[in-house]
Amino acid sequence: MTVALRPRAAAPWALPGAVVLVVAGTVLSMKVGARPLSWAELSDGLLHFSGAPSDFVVRHVRLPRTLCGLLAGACLGLAGTVAQGITRNPLAGPDTLGVNAGAAAAMIAVMTAGIGSLAGHVWFGFLGGAVAALTVYAIGGSGRDGATPVKLALAGAAVSALLTAVTSAFVLLDRDLFARYRYWIIGSLARAELPTVGQALPFAVAGIVLAVLLVRRLDAVALGEDASRSLGARPGPTRAAGLVAVVVLAGTATALAGPVVFVGLVAPHAARALVGTAHRWVLPLSALLAAGLVLIADVAGRVVIAPEEIHIGVTAALLGGPVFLHLVRTRKVAAL
Amino acid sequence: MVHALGLSDRLVGTAFLDAQVVEPYAAAQQGKPYTADLPQREALLAANPDFVLAGYNNVFTTTGDESISTRADLAALGVQSWINAPLCPSADGLSDEAIDPAQVSMETVYADLRSLGRVLGAQQRSEELVAELQAKVATVQERVAGKERPQVAILLNDDDGSYRVASGIDFGTRVLEMAGAENAFGDLTERRHVAVSKEELIARDPDVILTSTCCDASYTVADGEPDVQQIRADPALAGSTAVREGRVYPFLFADRAAGIRAPYAAERVADLVHPE
Repeated sequence: MTVALRPRAAAPWALPGAVVLVVAGTVLSMKVGARPLSWAELSDGLLHFSGAPSDFVVRHVRLPRTLCGLLAGACLGLAGTVAQGITRNPLAGPDTLGVNAGAAAAMIAVMTAGIGSLAGHVWFGFLGGAVAALTVYAIGGSGRDGATPVKLALAGAAVSALLTAVTSAFVLLDRDLFARYRYWIIGSLARAELPTVGQALPFAVAGIVLAVLLVRRLDAVALGEDASRSLGARPGPTRAAGLVAVVVLAGTATALAGPVVFVGLVAPHAARALVGTAHRWVLPLSALLAAGLVLIADVAGRVVIAPEEIHIGVTAALLGGPVFLHLVRTRKVAAL
Repeated sequence: MVHALGLSDRLVGTAFLDAQVVEPYAAAQQGKPYTADLPQREALLAANPDFVLAGYNNVFTTTGDESISTRADLAALGVQSWINAPLCPSADGLSDEAIDPAQVSMETVYADLRSLGRVLGAQQRSEELVAELQAKVATVQERVAGKERPQVAILLNDDDGSYRVASGIDFGTRVLEMAGAENAFGDLTERRHVAVSKEELIARDPDVILTSTCCDASYTVADGEPDVQQIRADPALAGSTAVREGRVYPFLFADRAAGIRAPYAAERVADLVHPE
């Protein structure tokens, strides 16, 4: 089954440009901080660890932070693209499918129970997101037509509202819990550590592979229910597989950086503005743009009010917001 | 402070102690009505106090999750209030913004004790107390005079593994100075606590790190040990001078408050930073 899509006479420089953006973001993220590092300090820190102060900065602060940003950004960009694709909803993201509300509720549950550290909690968030998304899919998929985009969106909104109410009730009644929850909900790369990156890597790879396998099916689903069925595609299984990809990708990103929702919303739109709607271009471009945005937003957060830092959740939205507004004003964004 | 002024019998309620009451007065706190959380406005008024003494400004602000009532509102109900001057809001509704750096000194604490003594009718005891504290500080300062002043950072361990430091307008800076040390983050003066990156900590590389363990009425210095362990185990800080030389020490948040603990705290910090 092949689907011919309107090939947009799109910027041939888009992908190389995005690669340059990510490389630039990576370099900035390694070099810029409380004290700028020279190239020599950077290479020494990476290759010849001797115990100098700059070595600790490179190995234990900048490197984990940069890797976290790259991985989380790419996952968010892919998750957003797949979520928008399977729901054919331009505003969709992991949050539309209940993933974030589920993750937050699970975090609150373990924080209330008082188990372990924040680093230990994040994987409960992953689990909570998965359970919530499955619930959304089960509810949205019941009935005669199966999981249609509208039913998924409505089920997602309902489950999210319910979970958010529970979360708010716990958080607002307990001052200490709120303080801890705040650290998580805001999204930050400051807590990045290499072991977390290592734990997240297999999940990220699995999510990326799944998203790549879905490329053609997402194009078919994009044509609409009837057209895709008439082409012999089966939207149901595609949505189920897409949902799994979104949960894995968004869950990994959330475990790494907290729920930085906005990146997943804006990156696919920016990608489609550049290369049209074919997912074989949109997916990689969205991943690259999201990673670049996350890295540059993190660097900006380090320098704006130094020696304090602004969390990435804030800077990413501040940087991505104007881009998104520009897209909304100049293009037909809903073209999915 | 009330215990030190010898007025323990007048306390109708105590709340939200950050650590065990400092040694010579710990016994006086025994058996006093105590609640671990800050009281809600109603609970406070239910105790029918004539006078409310607060150690921190946030309980009197107009907003914020620790606000109980503004001082003006309490006054309207005939309840007088008191707040230690180094942290005193210049107007109701302000928190750390109200701190006047020039007021953050032991002199202000002494002036407070004298005024409080006058207000509560224990003038003579307050004079004695001020003299006691002044003598204590003088002894410490004599001991450390002319010695090199090490850079010290007071770290608050946050839940997500990041840190905040006590800034130049925190009373902890005065405690460090009395003890013959310097706050490595003393140049930051916007708020009492500043969230700094680990990079900044590595770059400033303090000679000594003190924790800021808080808050439970049972806490003694020994309860700071988990915070110390956490800082020592942080791989990013493994190369810093304080961690390498084993100079990370438990310290109590309460010991850097503007009050009678400060001279005792200075004594202990002097022991830590000038062991010779």
